[in-house]
Amino acid sequence: MVIVILFFSFRLTAQNNLLYSYQALSKFSLAKQKDSIKKNWLCPELFKDKATQKKYKELWEERTSFIIGAIDANNFITEGDIYNYINQLIVELTKGNASLIKQPQLLLIDRSASVNAYAVGGNVIAVNLGLITFSKTREEIALVVAHELSHNILNHAENSMSEMAVWLTSEEYKNSVNAVLDSKYERLTKLKKVMQAYTFSRSKHHRYHESDADSLAIILLKNSHISFDPAVFLRLDSADNAYRQPLKNSTKNYFSSYNVPMEDWWFAKRSKGLSSKSYNFKDSSGLDDSLKTHPDCIERYRKTQSMATVKGTFTPVFTEVQEKANKMIIWNMYDNLDLTACLYRVLLEKDKGNADVWYDFMMHNIFAGLYYSDKKLNRFNAIGIKPKEYISKNYYELQNLLEQMPVDNLVQFYKSSYNQNFWLNMPAESKGLKTLMSAVLFESEESDKKKSIAAKEFIDNNPTSMYCEFADHFKK
Amino acid sequence: MKKLILCLSICIAAANIKAQSKVFKEINEDISSEMKIITQDEALVGYLVFTQLEKANEDSFNYKISLMDENLNDIGTVNFREEKLDLDAVSFEQDILCLAYLKSNINGRTFKNKKEFNAFQEKNAIFTQFLSLDGKILKTNSSPIRLESAEYELWALPRSKFTYSGSLKHKIQLKNISQKGFVCFYGDKDGCNIIDYDLTGKEIWKKSIADEQAFSLLTSKTDVYLLEKVKEKYVEGGYYLLSYNALDGKSYDKIILNDKEGNSLKVINFENDPVTGTPYLSGTIIDEKKGNNIYTGKQLARSPYSGIFTMDIKGHTKTDITKSFIYWNDGTLSPAISKRGFIEDVRSYSVLTHSFRDYNGNTFFAGSEFVKRPKFGAIVASIITLPLIVVSPLILGASGTIKCKVTNVALLKLNQKGSLSFESEIPCTDSKFTKGNVPITEYFNQRNFYDVENSNTKASYMIVDDSKNIMIYNVNQRKVVRTVSHKDGKIRTNVFPAKEGHIMVFEYNKKEKYTRLSIEALN
Repeated sequence: MVIVILFFSFRLTAQNNLLYSYQALSKFSLAKQKDSIKKNWLCPELFKDKATQKKYKELWEERTSFIIGAIDANNFITEGDIYNYINQLIVELTKGNASLIKQPQLLLIDRSASVNAYAVGGNVIAVNLGLITFSKTREEIALVVAHELSHNILNHAENSMSEMAVWLTSEEYKNSVNAVLDSKYERLTKLKKVMQAYTFSRSKHHRYHESDADSLAIILLKNSHISFDPAVFLRLDSADNAYRQPLKNSTKNYFSSYNVPMEDWWFAKRSKGLSSKSYNFKDSSGLDDSLKTHPDCIERYRKTQSMATVKGTFTPVFTEVQEKANKMIIWNMYDNLDLTACLYRVLLEKDKGNADVWYDFMMHNIFAGLYYSDKKLNRFNAIGIKPKEYISKNYYELQNLLEQMPVDNLVQFYKSSYNQNFWLNMPAESKGLKTLMSAVLFESEESDKKKSIAAKEFIDNNPTSMYCEFADHFKK
Repeated sequence: MKKLILCLSICIAAANIKAQSKVFKEINEDISSEMKIITQDEALVGYLVFTQLEKANEDSFNYKISLMDENLNDIGTVNFREEKLDLDAVSFEQDILCLAYLKSNINGRTFKNKKEFNAFQEKNAIFTQFLSLDGKILKTNSSPIRLESAEYELWALPRSKFTYSGSLKHKIQLKNISQKGFVCFYGDKDGCNIIDYDLTGKEIWKKSIADEQAFSLLTSKTDVYLLEKVKEKYVEGGYYLLSYNALDGKSYDKIILNDKEGNSLKVINFENDPVTGTPYLSGTIIDEKKGNNIYTGKQLARSPYSGIFTMDIKGHTKTDITKSFIYWNDGTLSPAISKRGFIEDVRSYSVLTHSFRDYNGNTFFAGSEFVKRPKFGAIVASIITLPLIVVSPLILGASGTIKCKVTNVALLKLNQKGSLSFESEIPCTDSKFTKGNVPITEYFNQRNFYDVENSNTKASYMIVDDSKNIMIYNVNQRKVVRTVSHKDGKIRTNVFPAKEGHIMVFEYNKKEKYTRLSIEALN
């Protein structure tokens, strides 16, 4: 009984409290770590040859700039529950492998929805929120974390940089490039060959590096008594299918509670174009970087099958952690104006029977954001139209809806959601965002000052609100 | 926050690129790209980027075609090697893309002797390429041409300095024929040609036509039309319509475009009716006496046109053409439109330069309004100085008695019953008052007009691209639904038609040096 009460009280808290504070964004929360990286990431003197050392230093500094830039751009977030959940895995892995992991590891939680994690070298690893929502068990995440730690243990990043410095300053390379410049014909083809000769063995998911990292990761897990199931590699094969998942209901039904007539033609593709044709080019466009883009998942499964933990224990990822990560992804997508993907994730939650009013709040924000984008002639970019090959029928219908819903109906929908009952249960800062949104939408285009005042007012009244990130766009 | 997260390896790759900037810069200089729209039945269905990657040998280049759908999403790429190509047009039909190029290796070359030059001349061709949607080049064709460039120039100039520059006399026009294939028109030194291809790229028929001033190609489901403009007494007149059977190229009677009185017509629009799919022409009737007075405000105020017309081409005989002529110079439209074309509702004249038809069969005519006013100051001054004999004519000569300015855009509607009426006025930026005898091109930049249609919603829009703003006019709602400022702080915005029912918005931020592109629905 006590557990039940506690559980419900947790749920209520989850609904009414915000996910994280504005200060959890990396620009604020990782300020010290950023300074530390700047101060302590000093390029070692590896090469006697001046040119090679200079090139190595350039690459080293590029890496530092990358990570510092990402921190400043709020690409990372330090939210207690999620951070602690993942960091606990690092603690366990470090404890079980003290001889291998000698330095403390800096964990970064990347806000990206992509199912991925990456090692930066210098004892830094990053885990994407997308990986947390995708993973079914704690052990799946542990494997990926162990894999990235292995990259750090094996100095893959540093080795890549030094190998590259050596190659780029080698006589062989210089001669190859000069031969390209001296040639009269097929210079691009020749240059590609020169670059391929190098990148083939040093590509971003270099198969030997990955294989080495896989093997070591399994050892790290074993030493820490964390179970390993090679089937995770097969699951990773579907990592890019997030938007291929169909919705449970007809797309139109999800909007019925707003009492706004939604016409069928808004959901159907209306314009002529090649997107509706069946095309099959060999060299098609790629997807975002994700774990699926690592070497063949099936091959990795086969290679590691014999190392599976016999009668292993697998713990589902905490629902609260996954829900939180999902909400953080949704908000981040919204703040980046990736509205169709954002709406789709909201509807997937509705499918799960999630009655959290935060999703209604986001539905309101999405249509408000769409109206704002329309006013700014930026609806197309806010929708982010994806080719039919990468999405489900429902997703396709949603992007049609967001593209074709007439402006007047958009305003009607916004007004309807503005007056929905869910607002009664929303915290003050959400209501504050609603007021700010209204100012942003309905103040005339000329009155940027009023919008700025409304944004400042929101920030002053809610200085720790995560929505300050949104207000910031209008503050200046 | 940045949307994309770059991992370390990408970071390293960027460093690599930076490190190799010299070689990349040089290789980059060899690469040139151009973007073309892909059309089908006059609608935009996709985009294509044609890239010349590198010189492959003495005569050939390596090329890449990157195909995108109407939302600018990548579909795929095709690589091929060919002699020097300039892509002119791309059309689509039945999952086949037809690309029409000018193939010529002589531009930029010097030649040792005429024999060598002639050998290269013989290689000049119209090159057509047929691609399937799985990236295969199904067929190519070459039709020899002679480029328009005086050969004596080649021998008159020092060889080492001479850069040969040849071009077609009439650029390639390429259209699809629904369910059947494609048709290509071009004009070279020897004349003009129409070539018809089926969907496999096989040449079905070819017609040679005598060269004239200008041509415009149009296809319907059954026919191929060529609007021909010949030089005649009236600068803006001299139109004829040629037509051919799409299947076998059978020629139909040539139609001269004039009214019953034999007055020449100025064709403003030649396209297919959005409902019937058959061609129609619309434009103005050139006034017999003042038809060439088309340059100054004062001339235009006296109306070089006597009315407007439409012609619906429903067949190949004279009786199959439904003609509608509306004259204002006979006074029948007065007082709404005076004999001189003065539109009472807006109290100004209008030079009609744009026309389109909606889904209700109404034909619209749009043009900039201009007003003329007496120059009271000059008139009074000349009267006062009249006793001085010399001064008065000097004042009148220098400043004139009339001043003109260009104001808004007037829209006239010709309904299905043949009744012409004033429809609407679209507010634009006024030009300055200028002497009436100054050509309007000297004080007024031509406005651009575009049409956007949506066959599903049956909505029609007219875009008026003015100097300060872009106005989007909803024809069905009879109002401007959106005004986009060209310049907003450091951002310069331009708007063009995109896929059906959409516009493409280009925003260039001068300060931050980036271009944002968006395809927005008009709804």
